[in-house]
Amino acid sequence: MRIDKETKWHILLGCALILSLSPIVFALSSSFKELSEAYSNVFGLPQHPTIGNYIQVFSRLPLLQITTNTLLIAAAVTVFKTVTSTLAAYAFVYFNFKGKNVLYFILISTIFIPFTVTMIPNYLTISQLGFRNNILGVILPQLSDATGIFLIRQAMRTVPRSLIEAARLDKIGHMRILGDIVFPLVKPAVVSSGIMFFINSWNEYVWPVLILKDKANFTLPLALQLFISSEGGTDFTIAMAVSVITMIIPLLLYIIFQRYIISTFTSSGIKG
Amino acid sequence: MKEIEKKQIWPIVNRNTLIAYGLILPSLLVFSVFMFYPLLYTIYLSLFDWNMIKPVKTFVGLQNYFVLLQDPLTYTVLKNTLAYIAILLLFNLAAPYVLVFVLSFVIKRGQGFYKSAFFLPSVISLVVGSILYLWILNPVSGPVAIIAKFFGITLPIWSKTQGLVIAVLSLITTWKVFGYNFIVLLGGVGGVPQEVIEAARLDNVPLHRIFFDIVVPMSSATGIYVFIMTIVQGLQYVFTPIKVITQGGPDNASSNAIYNVYQEAFTLYHTGYASAFAIVTMALFVLLLVLEFKYVEKGIHYEN
Repeated sequence: MRIDKETKWHILLGCALILSLSPIVFALSSSFKELSEAYSNVFGLPQHPTIGNYIQVFSRLPLLQITTNTLLIAAAVTVFKTVTSTLAAYAFVYFNFKGKNVLYFILISTIFIPFTVTMIPNYLTISQLGFRNNILGVILPQLSDATGIFLIRQAMRTVPRSLIEAARLDKIGHMRILGDIVFPLVKPAVVSSGIMFFINSWNEYVWPVLILKDKANFTLPLALQLFISSEGGTDFTIAMAVSVITMIIPLLLYIIFQRYIISTFTSSGIKG
Repeated sequence: MKEIEKKQIWPIVNRNTLIAYGLILPSLLVFSVFMFYPLLYTIYLSLFDWNMIKPVKTFVGLQNYFVLLQDPLTYTVLKNTLAYIAILLLFNLAAPYVLVFVLSFVIKRGQGFYKSAFFLPSVISLVVGSILYLWILNPVSGPVAIIAKFFGITLPIWSKTQGLVIAVLSLITTWKVFGYNFIVLLGGVGGVPQEVIEAARLDNVPLHRIFFDIVVPMSSATGIYVFIMTIVQGLQYVFTPIKVITQGGPDNASSNAIYNVYQEAFTLYHTGYASAFAIVTMALFVLLLVLEFKYVEKGIHYEN
């Protein structure tokens, strides 16, 4: 009886899983079909696999340039946010200073500020700096994000304070404490924050759509948007190819670092 | 000994304060320019009539807020926003909460596998999600339509149907958010001691009672965190499918508080009005923030 019940639950979970994963399989499979086959053979794997859609994408878009733009933006955002978040988290955990709690509260509160509140002035600032239609204009506003400080601080709080105090008594400098003692212990949180920064920036749509106008400056999500038509349309299989190109890097990164990422986010909601 | 001497010569608190602020400074700089200043400037702009291009802004006091309160569109948008919130909470809080409970205490096997697999779509762009579902749910030739036709059901043109459009756009957003919430909730529910559940099951307490009377209260800090994040992030995430698929249509039936501000600011160039609307949205979020800090930040600390 008990096994029976368990199986029922596994079927439920399995159904939820199929619902959530089948779109990915569907995109992959459709991207290797010709348009006519995509309509006649909706569910099956491609009967006559073709890379024609991918060739089409490359001939119709400066795809190499677009991928490079996406990569540069995501890399810059990741490096900056990972470094600054680690430094700030270190200060919030191991220092006692005036205004610490207020400052932390203010920084973390910004997670709850909807982007619409900062969007208009940021657009004006970027325009004044002359960074519209420029990847710098996409990068800069993305840097003010407190989630990294939050996640890395959570991890640092679990490092025994006595370890740091002993190092301070031995006159070891803060940079070495951070680099040689704290960092190795909080590496999973730092790495998974970094990976999520990269993935989120890679997928960012709202801000680049406001800032970037020329196709040559586009990021992948913007390029993908060019192939959208509400009826599916003649570009459907090509859109699937761009979708696959857009999601392949985040998926690979996730698969490589999934243990770090899962453990960091599993604990993110537990400890205030 | 030396430490003590040093303390007397160098007031150690001040020196530490300096280093601490030095470490926070890079973050503080970008936050000042791209978060705090814009926040204040949006409040300022909300008191003006401006279109982003005119050299002169006309001061109108609180008029934008009064107009906002009188505009029937505001109430349509707020009603839609509430509908989005309700559906997002159902799919991204209630559903994963139950599945997490089942996985943690009823079947216990396969946790690692389900965690990794459910999280997978969370790393994919919502533009990809939008375009995928546009095809999967295509009412004429998509796979779901074909299955429905087999059962003699014709799919409505959801992107043009009031009400239904909100449900489908929420579903697309759910595809991305579900896995993330799932693993966060799994962390929270994992903190409930097994023995408590075992004891309740030995007493033949029904599962739904165990869930509502034991598991939910004992993991409430995580529950509230996910509740708030689902609303705050979910409403912003749903912007992408709205923008990509419906542009707020049909007849504003899929617009929400976030999309409406975007529309007012960058399509209609009602800069002052859009700013006022953004501030009102934020005020609603601040209410949630108060909740967050009241319950979650003071929640259970397992370490330290």
